Amino acid sequence: MASEQRGAFEHEPADLSIEDVSKRFGTRGRSIQALSSVTLKIPCGCFVVIVGPSGCGKSTLLRLVAGLEQPDNGGVLVGNERPQIFRARGELGIAFQDPALLPWRTVRRNVALPLEVLGMPLRAHRQRIDELIGLVGLAGYADALPGQLSGGMRQRVAIARALVTNPSVLLLDEPFGALDQILRRSMNRELERIWMASPTTALMVTHSIDEAAFLADLVVVMDVAPGRITDTIAVPFSRPRSSGLFTSPEFHAICDRLAAALELGGPR
Amino acid sequence: MMTRAHAKTALCLFVALLLWETAGRSSPAVRTTISSPTLIWLDYWSDADLYVPHLLATLRSAALGFVLGNLVAVAAAILFCRFPAVEGALQGVNVALFAMPPIVIGPILAIFFSDNLPQIFLAALVVYFPTMAATLVGLRDVDPRLLDVIRSYGGGGGAILRFARLRSALPAALAGLRATAPLAVLGAILGEFGSGVRWGLGSFLLGSLGDADPARLLGIGFAATAIAMMGYGVFEWIGRRSVGATMPVTISADRLPDQITAAGRYSWAQRGVLLIAALIMPFLLWWLLLRLSHISPVIAPGPMETLLYLVSGPGSADARSALLGALRHTVPLAALGLVSGIATAFVIAALTVVRPAVARAILPVALLLQSTPLVALVPLVLLLVGRDNTASLVMAVLVVFFPAYVMLSQGFALVPRPARELVEVYGGNRTKELALVSVPYAASYVFAAAKLVAPRALLGVMVSEWLLSGKGLGNLINASRGLLDYDMVWAGTVTSILIAVVAYQVVTLMERLIR
Repeated sequence: MASEQRGAFEHEPADLSIEDVSKRFGTRGRSIQALSSVTLKIPCGCFVVIVGPSGCGKSTLLRLVAGLEQPDNGGVLVGNERPQIFRARGELGIAFQDPALLPWRTVRRNVALPLEVLGMPLRAHRQRIDELIGLVGLAGYADALPGQLSGGMRQRVAIARALVTNPSVLLLDEPFGALDQILRRSMNRELERIWMASPTTALMVTHSIDEAAFLADLVVVMDVAPGRITDTIAVPFSRPRSSGLFTSPEFHAICDRLAAALELGGPR
Repeated sequence: MMTRAHAKTALCLFVALLLWETAGRSSPAVRTTISSPTLIWLDYWSDADLYVPHLLATLRSAALGFVLGNLVAVAAAILFCRFPAVEGALQGVNVALFAMPPIVIGPILAIFFSDNLPQIFLAALVVYFPTMAATLVGLRDVDPRLLDVIRSYGGGGGAILRFARLRSALPAALAGLRATAPLAVLGAILGEFGSGVRWGLGSFLLGSLGDADPARLLGIGFAATAIAMMGYGVFEWIGRRSVGATMPVTISADRLPDQITAAGRYSWAQRGVLLIAALIMPFLLWWLLLRLSHISPVIAPGPMETLLYLVSGPGSADARSALLGALRHTVPLAALGLVSGIATAFVIAALTVVRPAVARAILPVALLLQSTPLVALVPLVLLLVGRDNTASLVMAVLVVFFPAYVMLSQGFALVPRPARELVEVYGGNRTKELALVSVPYAASYVFAAAKLVAPRALLGVMVSEWLLSGKGLGNLINASRGLLDYDMVWAGTVTSILIAVVAYQVVTLMERLIR
C-alpha cells in the first residue's frame, strides 16, 4: 500500500545527525543560551520524541533541522546534506502546534501548498492529495474551508499537508498541543497509523509524557538553562500500539521513568 | 437585503427630511439658511445642465486619480514589504504625504500641469497614503507559522508573497480602497480650487459662494457627498462579496505613518542613516522634480531658493512677516479645533459606553459622515455660521470629530471585559467603572486619534480660510496664486506641510513620553 502512495516521489527515510550544536538568542547583554552542545543521531525510519519543560530549546532544535534557524556552532545534517539543500527537494514535512492553514484555501488546496511552493505540477498529484485527505480521516471535507472545520480536523489537515511530498523526514512541533486530552489520545493513535502507512524518520516535540511514551521508539529528554539533552530512553512496545496500551502497567512504568528523568534533569 | 437596522435608519432619515421640509416651508428664516429638500431638488431639476457637467468633470478626475493613486499605493506597499529599507528611506515622503493639507498642493500642480491633470494628480496623491499603509499592514500581518511552513519547503520572499501575503492583504487593501474612494472626490475638488479649471463641483462651488443661494450651495454639497458615498458603497459591497466569507472587514482602515515603519529591526546606526535619508528625501525629490521638468525657477523655485526668499532675499522681511502673520492666525485655530473636536469625541464616546444603544445609533452615522468630503461641509458652515473665524473653527471641529469618534469608540469597545466586570463584582457602578477602567484604557487611543486628525484640522481651517474667511495661511496661498507671487505660493505650501509634519511628530513624541 505504501509503495502505491509514493507516486512520483521515491524518498527513502533519511538519517538525521545533530552534531555538537549550540544556539544563543538575543543581542548585547541580554541573551539566552537556547541550546548548549547538543548531539543527537537519529537512524532511518525511527520515531523520536523530544520532551522537556518550556524554554529547553526543543522547538529550536526542530527549527534547526528544518533550516529555519542557523546554529552558532556545530552542524545539522539531514541525509548527509544541509537542511536548506535537503528541504528544497521536498523531502521535509513539517507541522506546528498552530495548524497555520491558509483561511481562503480549501482543505485540498491547503494540502497542496508544499507542492506549489516547490513548483511541482498539481495535476500529477491530485490522487495522492485525495488519498492523504482520506488517510487523515477527512474524506468528504476536501472542499471545505478551514473556518468550517473543528480544531482537531484543522490539525489533521496540517498533518496531511506535512505528508504530501512523501517526506523522508517528518518534523512535528507540538502538533496536538492545543487539543484536549481525549482528542489528543485519538490523534496520537491516528498519527501512528498514518506514520506506519507512509514511513518516514519522525522527530516530534511535545511536553506531554503520555504522548511521548505512546508514539516514540526513542524519547529524548531535555532540560533548561542551558538547553541540553539529559537522557534518552528507548520505548520497546511493538507496533501498532493499541489504545489498551494507555492503561497497561508497562506503559505507566515508561511514563514514570520519563517523569523521573525530567525531574532529575532539573536544577531543583 | 433589508434588515431591521436598515429599516430603522431609513425611517430616521425620512423623518429628518420631513422635519427639514416642514421647517423650511413654515419659516422664511429657516428657508433662507438651510433651504428645504424640495427646493434643492427643484434646483437640481431646473439647472441640470449646470450640475451634470460639473459633476461629471469631478467624477472623472476623481476616478482617474483614484485608479492612478491606488495602483501606485499597492505597488509601493509590495515594494516596501519586500525591501523594508526602501520604506525607511522614503518615510519622510510618506509622512509628508500623510500630513500635508492637500489644498496647498493644487496651485503647485497647476504650475506643472494643465487642464484636468492637476485635479487627477491631487486625487492620486490624497489616495496614496491610506491605501499604501493599509495594504502594507495587511501584507506584513501574516501568521509567522505560515511563513515557517513555506520556508520549510524552500520558499523565499517571493513564494511567501505569492502564497500568503498577497491574498491575506486583500481585505486590508479593499478597506483602503473603500476609505479612499471619498478622498479621491475631495482631492479632485481641492485640485479644482488650485487650478481654477472651468468645470467641476469645486469650481461650481467657488462660483456660487457669492450668490449665497442656499438651495444651490447645499445642492452642490449634497452632489459632492453623493459621489463620495457612491464610491464608498461600491467598495463596501465588493468587500463584503469577495472576502466577507473568509475574513471580517475592519470598520476603520485608517493607519498612521508610525504604524507601518519596521524600524525595530534595524540597529541604531542603521536607523540614523535611514532617518537622515528620510529627512533629505522629500527635499531631494522636490529638487529632482524641478530639474527634470525644466520649469523656470521664477515660477518653480527649488528648496534653496525658497529658503533664501524667506531668509535673505530682497523683500524677505515682508515675506516673513506676511507668512508669520498668516501662521499666527491659522495655527491657533487649527489647534483649538483639534483639541475641542477630540475632547467632544472622547466625552461622547465615553458616554456611549454607559448607554450602548446610543453608540449603536451614532456609530453608523459617524462612519458615514467621516467619509463626507469636507468641502461638502463648506456650504452648511457658510449658511449656519457665516464667514468669520468661527466658521474656520467649526470646520476644524467638524472634520476632527467624526474620525476621532470612530477611533475612540473602537478604543472603548476594546476595553477587556474582565477588567470592567472586576469593578462590577466589587459593587462599583458604571460611573466608577468608567473612571477606573474604561477612560484610562481608552485614553491611550487619544494620541492615535490626535495623530490621525491633526492634519485634517489644519486642512479644515485652511479650506475655510481659502473659501470663506479670507484670512490666514489658506488665504495667503490663494491670494499669492492670484497675484502670481509664486515665491510666496511655494513658501506657504512648504511651511504648511512642515507645520503638519511637525505637529504629527510632536504628538508622537508626547505619546512616547507619557506612555
